[in-house]
Amino acid sequence: MLFNPTGFTECLREWEDLEKNHQQMQDTHRSYKQKLEEVAKLQDSCSGAIARQRKKLKELTASLEECKENHPTPKLNPEDVDAIAEIEDSIKERADAFSEMEAFLPKKNGLYLTLVLGNVNVTLLNKQSKFAYKDEYEKFKLVLTVILFVFSFTCRFLFSYRALDALFNFLLVWYYCTLTIRESVLISNGSRIKGWWVFHHYVSTFQSGVMLTWPEGALYQMFRNQFLTNCLYQSFVQFLQYYYQSGCLYRLRALGEKHNMDVTVEGFQSWMWRGLTFLLPFLFFGHFWQLYNSITLFRMFQLPECKEWQVVMCCCSYVVLFMGNFFTTLGVVYQKYMNNQDKSKIL
Amino acid sequence: MSKPKFQTEWEEIDEEYQQLQETHKIYRQKLEELTNLQTTCSGAISKQRKCLKDLRRSLTKGSQTCDEKELELITDIRLQIKEKENVFFDMEAYLPKRNGLYLNLVLGNVNVTLLSNQAKFAYKDEYEKFKLYMTIILMFGAITCLFFLNYRVSDEIFNFLLVWYYCTLTIRESILMCNGSRIKGWWVSHHYVSTFLSGVMLTWPQGPMYQRFRSQFLAFSIYQSFVQFLQYYYQSGCLYRLRTLGERNQLDLTVEGFQSWMWRGLTFLLPFLFFGHFWQLYNSVTLFRLGGLEDCKEWQVFMLALTFLILFLGNSLTTLKVVHQKLQKNQEKMQKND
Repeated sequence: MLFNPTGFTECLREWEDLEKNHQQMQDTHRSYKQKLEEVAKLQDSCSGAIARQRKKLKELTASLEECKENHPTPKLNPEDVDAIAEIEDSIKERADAFSEMEAFLPKKNGLYLTLVLGNVNVTLLNKQSKFAYKDEYEKFKLVLTVILFVFSFTCRFLFSYRALDALFNFLLVWYYCTLTIRESVLISNGSRIKGWWVFHHYVSTFQSGVMLTWPEGALYQMFRNQFLTNCLYQSFVQFLQYYYQSGCLYRLRALGEKHNMDVTVEGFQSWMWRGLTFLLPFLFFGHFWQLYNSITLFRMFQLPECKEWQVVMCCCSYVVLFMGNFFTTLGVVYQKYMNNQDKSKIL
Repeated sequence: MSKPKFQTEWEEIDEEYQQLQETHKIYRQKLEELTNLQTTCSGAISKQRKCLKDLRRSLTKGSQTCDEKELELITDIRLQIKEKENVFFDMEAYLPKRNGLYLNLVLGNVNVTLLSNQAKFAYKDEYEKFKLYMTIILMFGAITCLFFLNYRVSDEIFNFLLVWYYCTLTIRESILMCNGSRIKGWWVSHHYVSTFLSGVMLTWPQGPMYQRFRSQFLAFSIYQSFVQFLQYYYQSGCLYRLRTLGERNQLDLTVEGFQSWMWRGLTFLLPFLFFGHFWQLYNSVTLFRLGGLEDCKEWQVFMLALTFLILFLGNSLTTLKVVHQKLQKNQEKMQKND
């Protein structure tokens, strides 16, 4: 079949069109890069201005405190007292306004993210992307929890090889490491997860790492089934948590009572009293299982044939996990109890 | 009564705050315009790519049945299309893009494109520094494990550090690639292989087999860290020189191998590299021998033997290719001169 001469001219014409478009595109790209520079400058000036404002407000607060101390109230003009109170209120509001502004400005990463990622900016610069990132984090947790459930089921009931256990433990280490990275990114983006719920992922990473290095042996076999069943139970409870918590968070966000960047956690938080109280017994049972693990390991440690350092290390990690989990959850229950007491007193 | 001092101060601060709010509003507006421009540019690039792909296909069809003049034109257009691809790659280094599978798994969908040349270069510099510091730390770690502490625990810590180091390298290199760096092929894959190797070493239980291989492995780690240190030190200097001459891209990195640009002054590194590669082969042979012994029950031995073999093959073949290319170039030069 002869090559159609008109086909070839068509190609040439298309090529010329593409060249024209290419020129246009390069122009757009050039103006884009210009705008990029403008935006970068604006970012710098905003960040600088916020830092300056913060410093000045700090100085002002200090001088106001001085004012109040040096001039006891009766000597102060009542107008001045009012003015000072007003200014102090406004200063508090400003602090919130600054946090809101900074959520859309790039910032330096914390130590952990700098170590892992380097100095790439992880601030998502609009609400949509932040929310999408949070959604993705939740999905990631859910999918991995299901995978870990299936895997631990396989290791516990189907195949009993140290190599497979090692693979499972590697997956656990990787999962918890990735969670810590993603949570650091979320915190950079204005999410308010903190305290124990962040730290306990680091402890879990460490604990899974230690399990990884535990060599095959009589003592390992003694603990293996208990460990795998615990993992099975934990995955199941986490699945319940994410499933019900996401629904609850969605409802509360729609009511405007929760922040958009709040995430599901592996524990019990105060907002969960509204419909998720049924989760508490499951959680406490899981915590006490962790205590039971540490007791078992401690008993194993005292056996004469125990030569592995992993036993005492895992024991300590489980104790830390139990105490952190249990007391944090207990704290929430206690607060609720106090709130109820206050309410009944008012009534 | 005159206004108290704090009142004037507050009014000053308030005025600046109003200005800040204005600036921030303008910033948010410009940010939105920027995002729209980004979408336009990315859309235009992918459309152009698609059209060029179609054009290339129809040209390939046409080149089979046409005369010489048209063939010349077609080849010319083909070359220009390839150039355009490079232009697209460079343009996209300044546009946000979806992360690849690996970064998506680890980071999620946060954009890792650094949007200015300065930031990219600073990031690359940071990557190099990270490699340098970690190499020194790993060298000291290996020396400590080999000569001072003979405990499985310290070995574990060393192996965990190795796994973490290689994992972090893979993450940072993925980010660099998103930002326009042209590292590819073996020099990226071999970090994944090294992660796997260190992971397997990690799970190898204490025992006679482990003790027999341990010293060899730690000595090898010390040598490797030493060579890597040499590499980064001399390569960075060379790259700096070549960059100022305009002969290398700003984002070119130091690698753990030998690349074509290194013939200009870094040839002395080659024997060190080849010695390291053959040490990897020796590790593999030792492990295969250990694996063949009767009392060897650990699966790690065989797995490590294979992994070291893969590392040896990848490293030496890639380096040989560079040497081969150079020899060929020299031959061509000599032929031209004759």
